[in-house]
Parts: sequence; C-alpha cells; structure tokens
Amino acid sequence: MVYLLGVVAVSSRSSRATAVFTALASVAAFDFFCVPPYLTFAVEDSEYLITFGAMLVVALVISALTSRILAQSKQAAAREARAQALYQLSNRLAGETQVFDTARLAATLASEALGAQVVIFLPEDDAISFRRRTSDQLPIPITEETIANWAFRNGRKAGRGVDDLLNATALYVPLRGSRKILGVMAVIPNQASPLDAQERDILIDLFANHTALAIERTLSHNAAEASRIQVKAEQMRSSLLSAVSHDLLTPLASITGAASTVREQGDRLSPETRNELLESISDETERLSRLVANLLDMTRFETGGFELRRDAYPLEEIIGTSLHRLDNLLKGRELTVDLPATLPLVLGDEVLLGQVFVNLLENAVKYTPPGSPIEISAREADGMVEVQVCDHGPGFAPGEQEHLFEKFYRSRSGSARGAGLGLAISKAVVEAHGGRIEAFNRSGGGAVFRFYLPMQPLPVEQPA
Amino acid sequence: MKPLILVIEDDPQIQRFLRATLAAEEYRIHESTTAENGMVEAAARQPDLILLDLGLPDRDGLEVIRRVREFSKAPIIVLSARGRESDKITALDLGADDYVAKPFAIGELMARVRAALRRSSALALDQAASAVHFGNVEVDLEKRIVTVAGAEVHLTPNEYRLLQVLLKNAGKVMTQRQLLNEVWGPNQVEQAQYLRVYVAQLRRKLEKNPARPRYLQTEPGVGYRLVIESTE
Repeated sequence: MVYLLGVVAVSSRSSRATAVFTALASVAAFDFFCVPPYLTFAVEDSEYLITFGAMLVVALVISALTSRILAQSKQAAAREARAQALYQLSNRLAGETQVFDTARLAATLASEALGAQVVIFLPEDDAISFRRRTSDQLPIPITEETIANWAFRNGRKAGRGVDDLLNATALYVPLRGSRKILGVMAVIPNQASPLDAQERDILIDLFANHTALAIERTLSHNAAEASRIQVKAEQMRSSLLSAVSHDLLTPLASITGAASTVREQGDRLSPETRNELLESISDETERLSRLVANLLDMTRFETGGFELRRDAYPLEEIIGTSLHRLDNLLKGRELTVDLPATLPLVLGDEVLLGQVFVNLLENAVKYTPPGSPIEISAREADGMVEVQVCDHGPGFAPGEQEHLFEKFYRSRSGSARGAGLGLAISKAVVEAHGGRIEAFNRSGGGAVFRFYLPMQPLPVEQPA
Repeated sequence: MKPLILVIEDDPQIQRFLRATLAAEEYRIHESTTAENGMVEAAARQPDLILLDLGLPDRDGLEVIRRVREFSKAPIIVLSARGRESDKITALDLGADDYVAKPFAIGELMARVRAALRRSSALALDQAASAVHFGNVEVDLEKRIVTVAGAEVHLTPNEYRLLQVLLKNAGKVMTQRQLLNEVWGPNQVEQAQYLRVYVAQLRRKLEKNPARPRYLQTEPGVGYRLVIESTE
C-alpha cells in the first residue's frame, strides 16, 4: 500500500509517463525487497505474479485518475480566472467615469481573458474611426476600417472567422447598447490561445455585452453629471446676483459720494476732511477689488472651469505675499507668524492658497476689535502641514461653526459687511488640494481656523 | 530735457489719469491707443520709457514688446489685468522690464517708472559699484562679504550668486526662469522649488521679518524683485 501512495504522490505532481514509470518501479521494488528470495527480481511463488499484475493495474489506474483530476482542476482554475476577469470588468468599470478609460480597461481585461489582442474602437460622427482606439499602436491594417464600420452599422460580427473571404486580421464585434451600437471590439486571435473555439466565442460575446453596458453606463453618468453641474451653475448665478448687487453697490455708493463731495466742494473742505474722503475712496476701492477677485474665483470654482496649478512652495512665501496684499488692512495690528525652519514645503496652487490666507485674515480683521493681535502658525502633522490662523476676538456663537463655510453666510455678531464668500472659497480651495479646514473657539478666547495642506519634503542642497 | 514716456493704452479713463499724473511729475507724454500706432511711435519718437497695456484692441500687446525690442532698449512697463500670470511671465521673458497689475495705485506705478528710468540711465553710464547697501544690509561685491547690521553673514555660494543676480537687476522683476537660468544655468530652469527654497533661506539671513519681507519681495506666480531703495 505504501507503494501505491507513492504512485499517487508522483502522478499528482508530474506527467502521465512519470506516473506509469513509478507504477512499474514500485512493483519491481516490491518484488526485490518483499518477495522471497529477497534482494533479487526472481520469484519463488508464481502466485506473486498475479499480485504484481494487480498492483500494476491499480497503480496505473490511480495515476490515470490522479492526472485527470489534476487536468480538471487546472481547467476549473482557468475558468475561475476568466470568471474573475469578468467580475473585475463589471466591478471596476462601474467606478470609471470616462468612456475612454472604460473602453481601455475593458480591452485590457478582455485581452487577458481571451488570450488574444483586443482593441476597442469608439465612433466619431456616427462612424467608426480607427483613430479613436484604446491601444497606442494599431495592430490592424487601416484598410479594415470598412469592415469595422460594417459591423458597427449592421450590428453584426464581421471579419475573421465570420467571413473568411475578407481575409481580415481581426474579428469585429459590435458593442450593442440598449438603444444603439456604441463601438466595435476587434479581437485578433492568438494561435497559442488556450481556449477552444466555442468557449472563445461565448467569452467574446460576454465581454462585448459587458463592455457595451459599461460604456453606456459611463455615458449616461457623464450626461447626468453635466446637467447636474449646469443646474448648480444656474442656481449659483442667481443667488450670486442678488447677494452681490448689494455688496457691490455699498462701496460704490461711498466712492461716488466721497468723490463728488471732493469735486464739488473741493476748496471749501478742510484738508483733514478732504484727506478723509480721499482715503475712504481708496479703501472702498480696495474692498471692491478684493470682492471682485473673490467672485471671479468662486464662479471659476463653481462652473468647473478651473484648474489647480500645483507646485511646492515654502509656506512663508505664500503667507508673505498675502500679508503684502493686506498691508493697509493690517495696519495697527500685531501679527505674528510662527513657522519652524524645518517645515516642509506645501504642495499647491500659490495664488489660490494665498487667497485662503487673505480671506482668513480679512475675516479675522472684520470680526475682532481693532488693534487686537492675530497669529499664524504651522507645523508638520501626520504627513500634512497643519496651519492655524488665530484671533483674539469674541469667537463663534454656539451652533455657528456649522454654517461658517456656507456660501453667503454672514456671522450675526458684528456689523461686518461682505458677500459671505471668503470662507466658502477658502474651504473649496483647501478641499480641492485634498486637505480639510475646521473652525473652533480656543480656550483663551478667540477663533481658530485650522487647515491641512499636502506637503513635500524640503529639497536637498543642489550644487551650483 | 524731461524724459519722454510713450503710453500705449486704449481705455480713455486710464489714459486720462495717467496723463494727469505723468504731467504733474513733469514727464513728457505721447499717447497711442492701438498696438500698430504704438509700435510706429516707439520707432519714430525714441521714448525713454514705454507704458504698455497688454489688452489692446488691434493686436496682442506681447507682440508689441517683441517688435519694439528689435530696435529699442527703452524700459517697457506692462499694465496687465489681474490673474493673467502667464501673460506677465511671457512679457518679462520677452524683454519687458516690469509690470503693474490693474487695478493699481498710481503711487506704485510712479515708483516703478522712476526706478526703471534710473536703471536705464545707470546702465547707460555702465556704473559698476563695488559695494551696495540696503537697509542694514551691506554687500561688498569685490570681497564677496555680506554683513547685516555690521555682523558678517555667511551665505552659501548659491545664495550669494542669487543675491548677486538680484542686485544686478535691483528694482526689476526677475522671472523664476530668468533667475534659475542665471544662477543654476539653462538646464535647471524647471527647478522652481530650489529657487523658492534659496530665496526663503536668503530672506531668513537678510530680512528682519522673513514672513513680511521688505527687500526680497515675491511677485506671485511670476518671480522675485529685490527692492533696495524706498519706493516712496
């Protein structure tokens, strides 16, 4: 019996021939060691010959069975792998948003499962163009575009294996959506493909169906997204108009008033009054231009026509630029900036990040008593740069934090003016960078805005 | 004779207040409202300085810079709209000397005009100073020694070279590309973050408050400017 076990062991691991050899060898060994006279191949008792025969037959049968089981399990594994590929296809495709990405992914998965080259062509102006394809190279002669188009228009397979008169390189399978044909999948069979023809055909059909479904889903998702964005943009525009007209008109009114006073009563005004009026003109103008800048940023964000220009910057530089822009507003304020010398670079769009600081500082100035100090600090925390802007004002009223970052929200405390866009923009900018922003009261009194930005280590010294 | 300034600007309101201010400072002015006419006047009148609006009705202002630079070295100050950083950079790389973003305060523009005129006359005399000082910073260009409030500050070779290039172009905006090219050479012009880190280091060594730099100013999205004289 021990010998038979050996046969099973060998045949489950190696080829049929080795298994047969093992069977014979085990019978011979049994004869040599266990049958008298020992240690020779001679046999005293002829009954042992029958035993040998039986042993050999059993061993051979076992080896045959074992290798068949093995082959079956290999096939099962292959089927499993293909099923897995299909499952992956439907699963991963669901998350893809771009049609081309979808098609490219489908082609890759189909090609793996079919053991053949697969290219998917998408239509352009209601016809298949070989230019809109999923692979970089075109493994098919351009002349076959006509065959692909035939398959596209008629919704039937064409080319290799369907009409051999055409002598085509590839089989063209239409990708049939629920309403129309969405593209064509070209399959260039590989001679060494492990699949038999029938199995392959079934798989090709399956892949064509799944791919068509996925493309269709992507298309409708994109369409829904587009209309959703449009609706949002419309809403944005109308609410902007109403909120902004007020905020634009207020400074304009004071500018017009002051300017006309100076012009009409120029000489009769005392120099102080005159200066005061002129100063209010320039202050209000500055406010107007900040407001307009914010509006431009916000509309760019909302309509999606907006792109981050990311690069690595020392935070100090971004803060410095913002402080420079706010020189007038910050006059008479004690402002401290506390940054460790080893602070990594922040990774982001310098103009937009600068706007975040401008908005937060403007906010701090607006809601705190004149002359009260403002502090900016930063440190590295959990692979991000954590930035804090703290003031010594009244802080937030209970429940206020939840609405702070909403568009057109204005704090009830204070007589502050503004479109209520600053914090909403700051939030949008920080989040577009993959960070987050929060606001809370600090224990000693005053408000804290804290946000996190992605970082990049400081570069090492470069030889000149 | 007072310097002649050519103003190429199509907006009548801006023209009006430029005219008033420039005349008050006793500059001579000539005005053009189109790019085409501006280029002709630049060649014919040989102005000492050109104020150029980039958004002209007939042609791209950038083209004016390119064409004027073929025959004139007169400083060009560009007036540009907010947020068009790439235009500013192109303008400077094409040979413009400075830019002012609209809306701008007139004091700022006049300071730039004075600085540009001073630079071009200094350049004409080919003055090679052996030492420069700004605030409490003293740079001995011959001995390559930098002192701040009398105490010597050690600069790395890269930092010194950067400072040198900025000093040579003091008052003028230098684009990141121009600085990288002059300090690190033409192969490093894409390495903007090295430049930023070196500027930050230089600020920490020279500025009293590096987060609110007085001398080494950032022009966001464009480059840097070393301001060594009071702009008022």
